[in-house]
Amino acid sequence: MTAASGFSVLRPATLAEAVAAAAMPGAVPIGGATALQLDWAAGAARPGLLVDLTRCAALSGSGVEPDGGLRIGAAARLAALEHDPHAAAGAPLLLAALRSVAAPPIRTRATLGGNIAGRTGCLIPALLALDAALVLASAAGERTVPLAAWLAAPPAAGEIVVAVLLPKPSPRRVETARKIGRRAAFTPSVIGVAASLDIGPDGRIGAARLAVGGGPNRPRRLAESEALLVGCDVGAADWHALRGALLEEIDAADDGWRSRSYRRRVAAHAIVAGLGGAFPPHPGPLPAGGERGQGRALPVKGVRAEDRAIPLPLAGEGRVRALPEEVEVSHRSLGDRWRIRPDVQAKVEGGFRYLTEHRAPDMLIGRILRAGRPHARIRAIDVGAAEALPGVRAVVTAADVKGENAFGIVVQDQPALAADRVRFAGEPVAALAAVDAATAERALSLIRVDYEDLPVVTDPEAALAEDAPRVHEGGNLLTDLHFVRGDLAGAWEGCAHIVEATYLTPRQMHGFMETEGGFARPELDGGLSVFAGGQYALRDRMQLARILGLPEEKIRVVTSPTGGAFGGKDELTVQPALALLALKSGRPVRLQLDRAESVLSGWKRHPMTIRMRTGCDAAGRLVAQQVDVVADAGAYASLGPGVLETALEHACGPYGIPHVETRGRLVYTNNGLCGAFRGFGANQMTYAIECQIGRLAERAGLDPFEMRRRALRRPGTPGYLGQTVGPSERLDEMLAAAEASALWAAPRGLSGDGAMITGIGFAMNYQGTGLGSIPPDPGGGRLALAPDGKIEAAFGFDEMGQGALAMIQAVVAGALGCDRDDVRPIVGDTALTPESGSTTAARATFVAWKTARTAGPALAADLVAAAALRLGRDPADLAVAPGGIRDRRANDAAPLIGFAELAASLDPLPQASAAFEFPKTDYTRGNARFLFISGATLARVAIDRVTGMVRVTDIEQHAAAGPIVDPAGYLGQIEGGAVQGLGFTLTEDMRTSGGVFLEKNLDQYLMPSIADAPERMTTFALEDLDPGDPFGPRGVGELGIGAVTPAIAAAIADATGLWPATTPIAPEAVLDALEGAG
Amino acid sequence: MNETVRFTLNGADAVFDGPAGTTLLDLLREEHGLMAAKPGCGIGRCGACLVLVDGAPANACLVMAFQLDGAAVVSAEGLDRLPVAAAIRAALVDENAFQCGYCAPGFTVALAALFTADRDADEAAIRAALEGNLCRCTGYHSILRGALAAAARLREAPSP
Ligand code: FES
Ligand code: FES
Repeated sequence: MTAASGFSVLRPATLAEAVAAAAMPGAVPIGGATALQLDWAAGAARPGLLVDLTRCAALSGSGVEPDGGLRIGAAARLAALEHDPHAAAGAPLLLAALRSVAAPPIRTRATLGGNIAGRTGCLIPALLALDAALVLASAAGERTVPLAAWLAAPPAAGEIVVAVLLPKPSPRRVETARKIGRRAAFTPSVIGVAASLDIGPDGRIGAARLAVGGGPNRPRRLAESEALLVGCDVGAADWHALRGALLEEIDAADDGWRSRSYRRRVAAHAIVAGLGGAFPPHPGPLPAGGERGQGRALPVKGVRAEDRAIPLPLAGEGRVRALPEEVEVSHRSLGDRWRIRPDVQAKVEGGFRYLTEHRAPDMLIGRILRAGRPHARIRAIDVGAAEALPGVRAVVTAADVKGENAFGIVVQDQPALAADRVRFAGEPVAALAAVDAATAERALSLIRVDYEDLPVVTDPEAALAEDAPRVHEGGNLLTDLHFVRGDLAGAWEGCAHIVEATYLTPRQMHGFMETEGGFARPELDGGLSVFAGGQYALRDRMQLARILGLPEEKIRVVTSPTGGAFGGKDELTVQPALALLALKSGRPVRLQLDRAESVLSGWKRHPMTIRMRTGCDAAGRLVAQQVDVVADAGAYASLGPGVLETALEHACGPYGIPHVETRGRLVYTNNGLCGAFRGFGANQMTYAIECQIGRLAERAGLDPFEMRRRALRRPGTPGYLGQTVGPSERLDEMLAAAEASALWAAPRGLSGDGAMITGIGFAMNYQGTGLGSIPPDPGGGRLALAPDGKIEAAFGFDEMGQGALAMIQAVVAGALGCDRDDVRPIVGDTALTPESGSTTAARATFVAWKTARTAGPALAADLVAAAALRLGRDPADLAVAPGGIRDRRANDAAPLIGFAELAASLDPLPQASAAFEFPKTDYTRGNARFLFISGATLARVAIDRVTGMVRVTDIEQHAAAGPIVDPAGYLGQIEGGAVQGLGFTLTEDMRTSGGVFLEKNLDQYLMPSIADAPERMTTFALEDLDPGDPFGPRGVGELGIGAVTPAIAAAIADATGLWPATTPIAPEAVLDALEGAG
Repeated sequence: MNETVRFTLNGADAVFDGPAGTTLLDLLREEHGLMAAKPGCGIGRCGACLVLVDGAPANACLVMAFQLDGAAVVSAEGLDRLPVAAAIRAALVDENAFQCGYCAPGFTVALAALFTADRDADEAAIRAALEGNLCRCTGYHSILRGALAAAARLREAPSP
């Protein structure tokens, strides 16, 4: 919601006008202007005058020149060029390059001239290889310059690109163009290459044009390497020498995401391989499936991949399921159970309203002033000028906080607005509300804060030193957890094999698509309503009451619906600022963070350093394990202590290890905020322990199934901490399902064209649900007949996208015997919904199911009794049915009396409630879970031999979490979790430097796109429970992400021998392994 | 500087008189109350704001008012105007393609543009057309299934 900048625009129609306009002081010529917002966000100066060249006739059109060359107007849109017949005939290389530029909607607007003019465009290497020339115009006239020469000279002010000339192509050519990025599509360029060889009639290379460029790399031709090729027979070129020459000649940038040497290597490989030369050398025999890593002992051996396009059936297309007892979770195979979720139609049509989208005429616009520096003392804040600006209705600082200026779910160490110190760059210092966005933005710039910078604490390990600067007065060590069982020191001696490794995991961002925001409004009774996406309205209210110094009853908090949360809206986000502003201004106030502010200020996943030493005896039985975790807490605690404790609870995974020692330390730094995130520490630890087991299996010469079979815990035995564990454990079954998977029959090893090496791996998934034995973990809900005849099912948890509404309808309809459409779910509103606990830890499914089971029969009995009275029937003859109450014995299901009619006759209307604690274990010396769910995840990867980049072709998940309540919701959680886990594994990390995030927005922080999503994803569920299991369906919200990382790691190990210990996995490390340098 | 631009919005004539740099996204949401196009990044990298400009998918956060003169803008709310929209929407709904749904209008617009240009688009074409749309909830496969189901429906339905 940036205020529009005050530039003016000229739209010249002729070249003369365009040249004149471009020569005006401060003029910036533009094409599609698709990069302007990006540039402005990066701090580029806003121009006073834009010259829109797209309406200039002289810059449009394309055609063949008399000499057979191609002329393309600079204003040609990239998408139009993709379908341009002249370009298709004369420059297929350009067409290939076009498809790697940005994404389709950008290409519909971006122009060829725009891509060239910035000198960083991804088309430049291809244009260099095509020997392009530019037609340029300025006040001095027109000139035509070879692109290479134009790039070598400094930009000439006031000169515009009119057209691109491509010489007539030689009839016989070998060409290649490739952009190497950081994810599969829509990616910043790591480096781009292109090459074009003209082949003479004698088969010799007449001319060679090789080029690199793109993104931060200086675009240029590679003359020395070209010279090496000229005159050679194209069939007998010395590719080895060419690779060497390219490595010498290519210069590349190092921007922190990829090293200079990596860029050089992949550019050289890409040119050589693209021209038909050899792939990079590989040490020893290439793995043709089953020769390395996990492949050694897997069921299918020696299968060679025939091609990159592997003909496997799509999900749901009749693939045999892995275990006969499992069901494939899909629309196709569960058609009779598949229901349409109640909110999806409005979401597709665009009519669905989120809490950030409410508008009212008297609503003010709020903005928050962030520190912008990671660690400083505040000497003074002066809001006078901002307050004096006309249109500003309220400015708040810490001085306006009437209650405690401290919040936090576990420890209240975080101010609502910073008072005397800021501890991270996104810390809110002040907030204001104004009549419009432009005024709010202007007012924000008028607030003066006098800071005294303090030493920045960035490295958690260094922060533990005695003399390290302190983030909080009490020191930097927030949590220190220790657990010992058995005799570790003695146990190592009994180990035949020991594996020791350090696993590093990233600062992952939740990346919910709806950024934090909402609105707050003062109520007539002196109270306040706050509408902002969250995960636990009652707790948000309690925290707000504490901050505002208001009684909780005076505050209404509405937290649903929200556009994704994943844990990132569990703690307070913008609510304190909204509330303070509404109270001070006496007006409704709305605000929504833009993405950059969300990135800067939002919660992230705790980065962890997990040192793990694991040993087994000669027979492969696990004997001992030592684990040491150091986690970056960021600036404030939030749920960090819980995350660390959960990580450590999963330190042995589902395996019994007699001698164990774990230590975990959570350390304050100035690296932004860390908090709850799907998986809650368990997925980081699962990555580590599953890799350890895979590596030990290799050492012990066991196949990975047998290794695990020997180590898996037995159902009914005490849990890792010694606690009692709930029923219906399904670990053996999940292991069997993984072993029986059809995926093992997929091709592995080298692809037929030599470009890829594929591998398959798997990991076990084991996760506790609920908050554990120590924190309060209340559940409950209320069922009632509403005046309009709907069964209202009210729960305090939230609809964040996961499908809570459909899930509630399913369990309530199931318990009552009515139709799902008879049920109206109400969620996430302290005025309307009871205590249900937080929407985290996969607990909502159980809470709703248990409520329906407990309160459902009572409500049904009331409904039946009331109907019996009305109808003059014996209640024993009646039952709840879809739409109303029916005769229990009648064959036709038509109700004798509808719910609406029944409701109209009743006062008061019947209702029934339930309140209970989430099932807990007896253990209280530490926090321990009672209900565990299990699964197994398989992954198949294809590794690019040119880049080392990993593409996940298949993910197959097996889940045992009790009955499926709603198939679409279940499947969505597993699949969505898988791809979020894929991002954690391959592309996502919020890197910091000096306490400042290096990724500012979604152009740099790369979540998986559809091109990164696996080609096939298959989900199987084992639904059965032990006889008499009273705990019903478990939630699967955290299962999908649980074991994706170690499954991918195992697949990489299968393909390359490398067990990657750092995520996101660096392609450079994989390439090193492929080339034997690792 | 203020500009006056005339364009059509979901088929109706529209005039905007305001700063030239006002984004189409702000214009739709704050001037016209059309909330289907959503802010997800503001820099053209998520596709939550996708609309059709002259029939082609465009990021409303990148298009500025001065670029709209004479353009035909269709937002997700106005997709009924496209013959393919009903089949696409129905298929996405049937497959429960979305979860939080914040990305849903953008994906729907992208698919509407794709199938309008090519009713026979296959899975590769669908994936390529959706490269500019991020979804954080679904892992994309439910959307892909919805799009494939839409393609099947469109194959069965007679061309307009
Ligand atoms: S908001 Fe326009 S692409 Fe993200
Ligand atoms: S459904 Fe939530 S972002 Fe796509």
